[in-house]
Amino acid sequence: MKISGEHQLKAPVEKAWKALTDPAILQKITPGCERLQPVGPDEFEATLKLGVALVKGTYKGKLALREKTPPESYRLVMEGSGAPGFVKGEATLRLREQEGGTLVSYEGDAQVGGAIASVGQRLMEGVARMVLSQFFRNLEKELGRKKEGKS
Amino acid sequence: MATGTKLFGSSIKRREDPRFITGKGIYTDDVKLPGTTCAAFVRSPHAHARIKSVNVVKTKASPGVVAVFTGRDLANAKVGGLPCGWLLPGIKLPPHPALAVETVRYVGDAVAVVIAESAFAAKDAAEKVEIQYEVLPAVTDGLSAVQQGAPTLHSDAPGNICFTWSIGDKEKTESAFRGATIVKQHLVNQRLIPNAMEPRASLASYEPATGDLTLWVTSQNPHVHRLLMAAFVLGIPEHKMRVIAPDVGGGFGSKIFVYPEEVVVAWASRQLGRPVKWTAERRESYMTDAHGRDHITDAEMGFSKDGKIIGLRVKTHANLGAYLSTFAPLIPTYLYGTLLSGLYAIPAIYCEVVGVFTNTTPVDAYRGAGRPEATYLLERLMDLGARARKTDPAEIRRKNFIPADKFPYQTPVALAYDSGNYGPALDRALSMADYRKLRAEQERLRREGRYLGIGFSTYIEACGPAPSQVAGALGAQAGLWESAHVRVHPTGKVTIYTGSHSHGQGHETTFTQIGADELGIPWEDVELVHGDTAAIPFGMGSYGSRSTAVGGSAIVMSLNKIKEKGRKIAAHLLEAAEGDVVFEDGKYFVRGAPSRAKTFQEVALMAYLAHNMPPGLEPGLEATSFFDPPNFTFPFGTHIAVAEVDPETGQVKIVRYVAVDDVGRVVNPMIVDGMVHGGIAQGVAQALWESGVYDSSGQLLTGTMMDYALPKADQLPFFETDRTETPSPVNPLGVKGAGETGTIASTAAVANAVMDALAPLGVSHIDLPLTPDRIWRAIRDAKKGGRA
Amino acid sequence: MNRAISVTVNGKTHKHEVEPRLLLVHYLRDVLNLTGTHVGCDTSQCGACTIIMNDMAVKCCTVLAVQANGSKILTIEGLAKDGQLHPIQEGFWEEHGLQCGFCTPGMIMQALQMLQRNPKPTDAEIRRGLEGNLCRCTGYHNIVKAIQYAAKKMARK
Repeated sequence: MKISGEHQLKAPVEKAWKALTDPAILQKITPGCERLQPVGPDEFEATLKLGVALVKGTYKGKLALREKTPPESYRLVMEGSGAPGFVKGEATLRLREQEGGTLVSYEGDAQVGGAIASVGQRLMEGVARMVLSQFFRNLEKELGRKKEGKS
Repeated sequence: MATGTKLFGSSIKRREDPRFITGKGIYTDDVKLPGTTCAAFVRSPHAHARIKSVNVVKTKASPGVVAVFTGRDLANAKVGGLPCGWLLPGIKLPPHPALAVETVRYVGDAVAVVIAESAFAAKDAAEKVEIQYEVLPAVTDGLSAVQQGAPTLHSDAPGNICFTWSIGDKEKTESAFRGATIVKQHLVNQRLIPNAMEPRASLASYEPATGDLTLWVTSQNPHVHRLLMAAFVLGIPEHKMRVIAPDVGGGFGSKIFVYPEEVVVAWASRQLGRPVKWTAERRESYMTDAHGRDHITDAEMGFSKDGKIIGLRVKTHANLGAYLSTFAPLIPTYLYGTLLSGLYAIPAIYCEVVGVFTNTTPVDAYRGAGRPEATYLLERLMDLGARARKTDPAEIRRKNFIPADKFPYQTPVALAYDSGNYGPALDRALSMADYRKLRAEQERLRREGRYLGIGFSTYIEACGPAPSQVAGALGAQAGLWESAHVRVHPTGKVTIYTGSHSHGQGHETTFTQIGADELGIPWEDVELVHGDTAAIPFGMGSYGSRSTAVGGSAIVMSLNKIKEKGRKIAAHLLEAAEGDVVFEDGKYFVRGAPSRAKTFQEVALMAYLAHNMPPGLEPGLEATSFFDPPNFTFPFGTHIAVAEVDPETGQVKIVRYVAVDDVGRVVNPMIVDGMVHGGIAQGVAQALWESGVYDSSGQLLTGTMMDYALPKADQLPFFETDRTETPSPVNPLGVKGAGETGTIASTAAVANAVMDALAPLGVSHIDLPLTPDRIWRAIRDAKKGGRA
Repeated sequence: MNRAISVTVNGKTHKHEVEPRLLLVHYLRDVLNLTGTHVGCDTSQCGACTIIMNDMAVKCCTVLAVQANGSKILTIEGLAKDGQLHPIQEGFWEEHGLQCGFCTPGMIMQALQMLQRNPKPTDAEIRRGLEGNLCRCTGYHNIVKAIQYAAKKMARK
């Protein structure tokens, strides 16, 4: 399953970069992320709880940020599995200044297996989009809150 | 039903129906035993992977868990792998453990089982089993799997080749092709998923005090289940195991086989001393019920100048899935290659089949099993031949029919057809369809830009595989006879015990029709028992449209023995010579003196009172028989499908469907019609909708009823059916078999109708299923190619 | 965490404490032992579990037992009255509308609602009305005839 898209943030690039590479913030803004434990440089163990239709379940897995080019891009590599099956994939995130804020674009490919594939496959794209849009909404909130906090 | 009226041939209402229409049928999941535990299987989400570790610590601590077993536990306990019941020369038989030990080979391959106090507790705990996999590359189609560099599933089957098999005369066929007009086609006969409405289930109960194990299981053949499980898998004495197949909600082949789940459940019940039950979720059915078909074929047919077939050459890669299911090797060989003569006189045929392992669910018999694949191939080639030669598809078929005076007819692919007369079925179908008018209508619609197609399928089926000796020589690990025990009670009431099994076929009605007729007693006085190894003699069960031809005939044999013993008793009571005593309409009487008579009931009573028996004759009145037919039976017929294709959307509508079948003599026409209807629906569905699809990594994409397109009521027309009747000479009833004809014929008829509709657009072939998307693309490609 | 429910099934009121996640179909089958209602799929496609709940045909594999609290339910076991088959049951028997019998209870319950809403359906309307019920044995041919049989018989009453 291929997925791509972009999202315009109000925050400047440097700030967005910082948020998008900070495990504490990532955990907070990723929907259902119960745990994001660093296990090495830019490597984490994660627990994710998804409550959507047939792909509902708890997924445990690994997550790594690779090829980091601050503040422009990194590659996110992840794999996780849970009762409904497994998800494996990677995505490239790019940040670029636009209209005084940051345009985040992403492009990725994911593979699913088990029940998620046989039952949920055709829901997956919708689920991914929903999770991503929540993720960015949370990110906006987070960035906004920080700003307020500082001023 | 009144005594004296002939029940054979009459459409009496089914005896089993009252319990089903009131919700009182007892299917396996309806059987409740106190103290039953529930099993949940942990299955591989990967198509191919090495199991690095299985951690069940958290699972065991989960509430309500009684036990957890892994493949290692079964191996340590010396539980055998699942056996294969048909061995071809040189076949590779890789082990098939009930629970995977080192490697998983398809999505759904079971790795562990959790047994708990409730289904919820078992499923909750199963989620806590932690398995580490090392994912391996996977291969899912039969052609890719034999290419160099393809991932290997089993180290003892290099190149993923399970067997290579051939039939016919290669050289003769090659020489026949010289100078012939040849039509060639690459054909995909897609994978199907059976979808019996009742999911598979098993309930095992071990009684430690006696050492008896009882297994209720969704089976088409309880004795075969018992034999294979007791002797080959579990190593328990056959007489200490009882298998009951109660009401079974459809099988279509998928419930013939021995599956891992029933093995595990039976074994676990012995370990725990408690009943263990498992009922498949539909998702598990999709992943684990043996699939059907899945052939990739290159076929060519040679025609002479005058339109006679002079040769047929076929090469097929048959996808067997990840392991050999119980009868997997039989289906694409002796039930496929041997059918390639169809009902045509073809002087030279050569067929080669490669059986291939892939990372998919095992493939085995599914309604028709091999014969629909052969029929589809032949009938597509006949249509392509007709088109190439600009001949009417009905006429090219008629021209090539084996003439009625040539029977018995030996085909070049082993089968000897005992009887047949193919022209009348074609004529009847043409007249029912009003063929000329249909063609005129087709022309008229074409001028309006509408695309109507008329598709033919003239088919032959071989059913009731036999005899056992021949089957044994060809690799069968089982006999192909059937048993029947008939017990006459002192009051003259009768119980028939059949080794055949009914899971929708209506044996309780048809077999008692036979019994009541033969004995001349009321239908209500005859009962049928089936599906319980403790009650019935060893039997082979129901598959291959064999029940009435083989099982029914065994009943007739036992009834004849009863009648003969009755004649002895009656002659003694009537003080007449045995040869002078006639049995008719339930009465024994002295020839020429019908008033000197004893009723069947009087004779039955004397058999048990034994106060006045002929000297030397044992008391009692019962008989057991085993019928091993001398040959298959060969039903045949003509099906005509009329379909309209919308060229804008690619949508197909079946406008009419005409089926004329010859299934020999018919016990209950209503029941035969019903089976023909259902068979047609399944075949139409293969042509238009159904397809089991894996993605390239081996994930099953059609894993629910949302994704796998089963036919619905508003997609199908009423079917117009009729019959010709050529009695089979190989059994005393003259019956052939009707369970699969519809499925065998209809896929080709519909595919041919669609191709006929698309002919003016320049489309000659599209692989199944003929979905709107595929049709739309084919039309577009044909337009681009300018072939229209 | 169990919840108390009270459900009237085939005229008899039952009170039980059930897990919130218990499906109505499993409540009927496993708690009340009314096994005529079948489970044929996990995704509400097959219709084998169709029952009448508060005068509506529902697939009870997608209803939680707790949702049925206070409701009136009719299952296949409650359809025949005083040993007298309902005309739809009779139609299925007369017209050979079943083979393995597994889909039959759901088909009958669905037909019941269909004929209540449309007492004189055309064949096409019956086929559309069975959109949510799958049968693998009959090709639907005789099921349509069975429902027509029932429609005619019910119209005469």
